[in-house]
Amino acid sequence: MQRRLPALLLVLPALTVILFLFVLPLALSVAGAFETETGFGLDNFVKSFALYSSDMIFTLMIVGLSTCMIGLVSIAIGGYLTLGENPRAVAILRWLYRWPLFIPFIVVGQVLRTFLAKNGLMNNILVGAGLITPLQAISFLDWRGIVIAFVWKQTPFVTLLLAGAMASVDRGTIEAARNLGASRARILVEILVPQVARTLMVGLVLSFVTMMSVLSVPLMINAQSPTMLTADIAFRINAYGDYGVANALGLISLAATACVAWFYLRQSMRDRG
Amino acid sequence: MMHQGFLDIAGLSAGYGATQVLGGLDLSIGEGEFVALLGASGCGKTTLLRAIAGFATPSAGRISVAGQDVTHRPPDKRGMALVFQSYALWPHMSVARNIGYGLKLRGRSKAEIARRVGELEELLGLTGLGDRKPAALSGGQRQRVALGRALAVDPRILLLDEPLSNLDARIRLKVRHDISALQKRLGITAVHVTHDREEAMVMADRIVILDRGRIAQQGTPQALYNRPETSFVAAFMGAENRIELSAGIEGDTVAILAGPHNAPARLPRDGRPLSSGPLEARFRAEAARLLPAAEGEDVATSDVTDEALDLAGRVETASYPGGAWRHSVRIGDETLLVDAPEPFAQGAAVRIRIPAPALFLFDRPGEVPGPNEGSTGNGPRGRALEALKT
Repeated sequence: MQRRLPALLLVLPALTVILFLFVLPLALSVAGAFETETGFGLDNFVKSFALYSSDMIFTLMIVGLSTCMIGLVSIAIGGYLTLGENPRAVAILRWLYRWPLFIPFIVVGQVLRTFLAKNGLMNNILVGAGLITPLQAISFLDWRGIVIAFVWKQTPFVTLLLAGAMASVDRGTIEAARNLGASRARILVEILVPQVARTLMVGLVLSFVTMMSVLSVPLMINAQSPTMLTADIAFRINAYGDYGVANALGLISLAATACVAWFYLRQSMRDRG
Repeated sequence: MMHQGFLDIAGLSAGYGATQVLGGLDLSIGEGEFVALLGASGCGKTTLLRAIAGFATPSAGRISVAGQDVTHRPPDKRGMALVFQSYALWPHMSVARNIGYGLKLRGRSKAEIARRVGELEELLGLTGLGDRKPAALSGGQRQRVALGRALAVDPRILLLDEPLSNLDARIRLKVRHDISALQKRLGITAVHVTHDREEAMVMADRIVILDRGRIAQQGTPQALYNRPETSFVAAFMGAENRIELSAGIEGDTVAILAGPHNAPARLPRDGRPLSSGPLEARFRAEAARLLPAAEGEDVATSDVTDEALDLAGRVETASYPGGAWRHSVRIGDETLLVDAPEPFAQGAAVRIRIPAPALFLFDRPGEVPGPNEGSTGNGPRGRALEALKT
């Protein structure tokens, strides 16, 4: 019983940090979302949906599509790293795929802006190679640019988790399938991915949450409407000082990520049960 | 040997990177035969099995099945199925899906797969477990699922990579018999890798003992047990007691010279390739008898014994592992283990009598007594040789 006090004292610094730097600001933001000029109400949410519902759908579509593509690309890379039979190709891929991890989102936005623009590097190469004429060149600096940026930046992160999980899968389970005549594609889909499904889910949920909170990429690549919610939040605060609507938009983003987190938790509970 | 050579291995060399594990190995296995590859870890037995299965690429040599060269065929095109040491069951699939996967890959209909899986579940005593995941099975059940998965595709050759090493000792004894009974019933050819001598002897028709990537000896369990050709094989087959002797070969007789701890003896040569000079003798603890000896008795001057070799020593400890008392007896600098029905007191002078058929004799090459015998730095050996010269 006397041990309780020292234990509490030990926990206190960490608890204080969490309370004041995390719980309190979150509570203030949530409360702020319901604050209007006439007291508490849903006015901010009504305004948010009226002005930004297309942006909400745009955001969810972009982040959802990016998540799916990240999943597919990282399965392909992780699968090749685990099942590839050319040691040199595997070594090169292992060395290459992590690079984007070390590049900040803002730099990714900047790089892709010069790469994907109408007269950017990509179109210049395609024109130079005679594949398209200058008139056919189109800018990718819209939703496609954001998806490309997200996939390029987040795939290494998910692949890192996935390749680690794949490497720790019992090689025997792969060889047993090969022994019975399974092709490498079948081994990847039917043997390897199901065994690392939970790690894949964790990686994708974390990526989803990260992408929901990125401001620099939509600002750099796609400044027109529709745009992503993060850009809208920044705009409400910087242009109007309108914290109410900004907080409401933030809460809506939080609800979207919470849905994904809930889906993940339910899945992992079911696996355990 | 009378093997028809169903699975033939000729001049097989294999290894990992620069390390060569197998060097020019020849082995012929008959159809329906159960062969155990026995050896200590690192002897190349698993590499040999993986080369046969197609998971290790040989650097030289040829593997053929029923006269067809399969050396460079992929693992699934050899008519073989491998049972892994870890079982390697797919944790996300039910028992039925694990067993039926090979058939699914072969494009069989769902009804046919279900029928075959049902047959195998019944054969292996897994009925009613079809919907369970491997994690919900006992070790023995998992092992049978792994066996069922391999048998489902009707392989001509079943390869077993230490399939019993992860089982409890009690279950292992039963599963040994289950597997060999099943193999006999199905008439399938089986190659079984193990480091457990008893397991190999109980299960196999023929045992192949591997030592550093080469076949040390092969034959029936009885032949290997009773007539080991080398000291290594004798030790592996349980003859752990080792003594050094000196003998002269006189026709069909091996005349053991009296030594500091052994009496002279005349034993039948029994066709063994021995030459006069230093010999190495090996025997099993249970094959020797322990007799009381008079204090101060000198074995070297005792009468020549026929059909048995006598050693003189002193009991160090006695323990009871079951069946008989096991004595640790000190002979000079060596300690030998000998069984006796009744315990001898600690410190008692005893004679160890080893009957001729239980005494395995081998030449000690490179240990010819000569002027530089002390240079090996081997204390007891050097002293034994000195004593012989006197």
